[in-house]
Amino acid sequence: MVDLKKAIDAGGHCLLEMPSGTGKTVSLLSLIVAIQANYKEKRKLIYCSRTVPEIEKALAELRNLIEYRTKCGEKDEYLGIGLTSRKNLCINSSVNQEKWGKVVDARCRNLTASWIREKSKLYPPGEVPLCNFYEKMENDNERQRMLIPDGVYTLEELREYGKEQGHCPYYMARRTIPFANAVIYSYHYLLDPKVAELVSKELSKDCIVVFDEAHNIDNVCIESLSIDITKPNLDASAKSIAKLRDVIEDIKKKDSQRLRDEYDKLVEGLMAASQERDEDVYLSNPILPEDLSHEAVPGNIRQAEHFVAFLRRFVEYLKTRMRAQQVVAESPMSFLQNCREVTLIERQPLSQRLTSLVRTLELSDLNDYYALHKVAAFATLVATYEAGFMLILEPFENDTIPNPIFHYACLDASIAIKPIFRRFKTVVITSGTLSPLDMYPKILNFQAAVQESYSMTLTRNCFLPLVVTRGSDQVAISSKFEVRNDPAVVRNFGQILVEFSKIVPDGIVAFFPSYLYMESIVAMWNDMGILNEAWKHKLIFVETPDAAETSLALENYRKACDNGRGAILLSVARGKVSEGIDFDHNYGRAVIMFGVPYQYTESRILKARLEFLRENYRIRESDFLTFDAMRHAAQCVGRVLRGKTDYGLMIFSDKRFARADKRNKLPRWLNQFITDACTNLSTDMALVTAKKFLRTMAQPFERDQLGVWSVEDVERQERSNVGVGGRAAQFN
Amino acid sequence: MTKIINSNEELIDIDDEAQNANQQIGYAWEEEYKRSWDVLQEDEDGGLKHTVEHLQSRKRKRLERDTSIIKRGIIRHMFLIIDLSEAMLEKDLRPSRLDLTLSYAEQFILEFFDQNPISQLGVIVSKSGVAEKLMGLTGNPMDNINVLKKKNIDTDGEPSLQNALEMARSSLIHVPAHGSREILIIMGSLTSCDPGDINETIDNLVSENIRVSIVGLAAEVQICKLMCKKTKGTYGVVLNEAHFKDLLFEIIPPPPVSIVKSKSELVVMGFPRGVNESMPSLCAWYDYACIYRNAVKGISNL
Repeated sequence: MVDLKKAIDAGGHCLLEMPSGTGKTVSLLSLIVAIQANYKEKRKLIYCSRTVPEIEKALAELRNLIEYRTKCGEKDEYLGIGLTSRKNLCINSSVNQEKWGKVVDARCRNLTASWIREKSKLYPPGEVPLCNFYEKMENDNERQRMLIPDGVYTLEELREYGKEQGHCPYYMARRTIPFANAVIYSYHYLLDPKVAELVSKELSKDCIVVFDEAHNIDNVCIESLSIDITKPNLDASAKSIAKLRDVIEDIKKKDSQRLRDEYDKLVEGLMAASQERDEDVYLSNPILPEDLSHEAVPGNIRQAEHFVAFLRRFVEYLKTRMRAQQVVAESPMSFLQNCREVTLIERQPLSQRLTSLVRTLELSDLNDYYALHKVAAFATLVATYEAGFMLILEPFENDTIPNPIFHYACLDASIAIKPIFRRFKTVVITSGTLSPLDMYPKILNFQAAVQESYSMTLTRNCFLPLVVTRGSDQVAISSKFEVRNDPAVVRNFGQILVEFSKIVPDGIVAFFPSYLYMESIVAMWNDMGILNEAWKHKLIFVETPDAAETSLALENYRKACDNGRGAILLSVARGKVSEGIDFDHNYGRAVIMFGVPYQYTESRILKARLEFLRENYRIRESDFLTFDAMRHAAQCVGRVLRGKTDYGLMIFSDKRFARADKRNKLPRWLNQFITDACTNLSTDMALVTAKKFLRTMAQPFERDQLGVWSVEDVERQERSNVGVGGRAAQFN
Repeated sequence: MTKIINSNEELIDIDDEAQNANQQIGYAWEEEYKRSWDVLQEDEDGGLKHTVEHLQSRKRKRLERDTSIIKRGIIRHMFLIIDLSEAMLEKDLRPSRLDLTLSYAEQFILEFFDQNPISQLGVIVSKSGVAEKLMGLTGNPMDNINVLKKKNIDTDGEPSLQNALEMARSSLIHVPAHGSREILIIMGSLTSCDPGDINETIDNLVSENIRVSIVGLAAEVQICKLMCKKTKGTYGVVLNEAHFKDLLFEIIPPPPVSIVKSKSELVVMGFPRGVNESMPSLCAWYDYACIYRNAVKGISNL
């Protein structure tokens, strides 16, 4: 807290690592709320989290906090709000039954787009379908300034409130953002330039931005600027271009006036845009850096039909490129060069032009144009950035199946996050696993005012990390490529699974480095009879790349843990399970890491990225790979520990975990419990230790909290270093 | 009287262990090594006072607990469920989980009837997914002890909590409301092989006021914890042999009576009465006149 206060006062960025389940969220929130309340200028809190349940949790915490403050006599009008996709917020029964987020978005637009609403005024009521909730909100809006009363709303409450008032919760939340004191939403609303433009444009400069669970923030940044284009995408976009052309022809016949208008508007709009950018009040769009956005839309694509012809040429060009038989990796510059030679296309921003055209043509069914949008975004990105990107064409999947994919890969995580660091005074990045801390400032290219890793104060040692380096037959175990399919190693891995399934109650989660390896190892276990052995003690569930299947497996896994049957979940270190899902209490009494979860190093994108990192940030390949592997490992084992009453075993089974350079990269709170005695164990030694641990942990737990400071403690601390702890006193 | 026996036992525990060690089957090097001197730790001044106090505190805790005034039900109906799964063959408790459990169960039964003389006890075992009633509710400790003799017992497969609980429940359901209904499970396995939803069984147990206490031999299992919490029983996991005994014998003092049940304040007890009738009368059961008729009636009331 003190560190955070320092960072906020200094107006710098800050990087904090705090173990999970120790009230990270609430301590962050309480300090920031206190600052908001005590300073004259209202600074807004923007709290970004990763998944919808996490957003919900943060909102609930915030509400508790505000309630607590009210109880303590603080009078503040506080409005906290969460925002998520339409899919989660929509209350229109005809729309929210759709399964796919994109379809919901498209249908919502069909009901609420401005031209549709215009149209409906011309026709008798009922002719053109509209969303009642949106209409009601608009009407109320015109009559009085519509605002949500102060308070903190969780997503569910927002929906309830929307239902009560007959307002659309999604748009309500979006309109309230400028007035709210705290906004909690997903990373993407801030990082992804396509979305950020819509949602986060009007945020003022002195907001405090918090990225929670941010250990993957570099990947999010990269994903938000990377695009993959496949053959079906191109086919679909060719089709939609044809359709577009038809529509244009049609309109031209009927009223050429509208096209004319659009053209004028475009020119006008560009002028306005450049003025706005001069004032530099808005989040500068990273898609369009200064030089490009100042350029007007070039003459040859201003006319609608020209633009369409242009798009068609581009798609055709991509198609020819895809016919290539060998892997091609090139920089955006050479791609553009080539493109110009072949098709005479200059680099131009395409996607905005497409959006404006679609708006003019009143095409409401955006779903159809999704592929085309993707291509346009691709073209824009290629045209925009020169450094830090790489174009890779892979004609074959797994070297055999022809499935050409154009990867436009962002290699530099700092590009997407740069505008955020530049714009906001304070950015707080926090997570349970950020070690080693100096890596993040490097790859994200920023200067941290404060970076700190906290250890944990625990009443009892509620987790036991064990590093198992050899099986009971003393054969070293490792998921190293050369030995990973060695029967002895596989058998020893199996042995670990069976033995621990005997002594660990309820749930065990086992993580493998990759799906491929998991499949091969499970097949070998089946042949060896190891699965049958494990079956006697626990049921076995497997995570697959398919989300629906996995959630079914998870549900049954939980059931088996609840009714005493016990279960094992085999999953993958980078899969869905390892990221968002908690295995608290009986759902995960032990985590077993089979091998070190290195990335698939043969991937061309990864290779390109490693090279980029080495050249630009002087990070060695092996350093980055280890860093990445260890942060995933820490993330996986962190799944079992969600709070102080929880306990769990953490078993690292690979001989490489015993090496000091690997262990140093684990977070501090984890490292402090790895004793020398349990860094080099064989399976049977680990079993004995684990048994004893489980027995001790099962004893009734007297709840005397360590690390809770009373008011006196805080005052004493304050006296010793005046001024620093002042703010903290309020909440302890 | 019983209290004195208790404290004596606490002191002669060490002898028990020595005795157990004699029966030991496995080799010494198969076990986890034990350093008895580790238990004794000197404090800052180099004294052992603290450690000794700690060792004694357990006993004191038990005595202290007994002083509070609560109403206890002395008529108890209890089923002892013993897990006979393969997990009981483990040798982490010496000589093995099974042998230790059986010998403690024997001691438990004797002690139980000693402290709860008018209670009844039955024994159920569970293995390979089925439950088997070795002995129904009876007031005779020897009946129960005899069925637990080693030769009758072998282990196989996994236990079934639900089957065993249902079996105990079907017997306990008929006992009169003035006595407590209890189930004590000694569970070595960490899994249970159930035919249906065990939560339903737990709900039934709760509604019928059956108290379930569990002594786990390996680790904490969520469903056991939940079950004990819902049925207001106790759940303990053993640390070592002595702790096992402590946990088991904690069940022996009669539990407090729950308020719901206490509407029957007094229980009618029958004792033989000598009634002199003026003239001989016919006995209902025998064809001849019986002057002890009333006396016999009195006993049958018991």
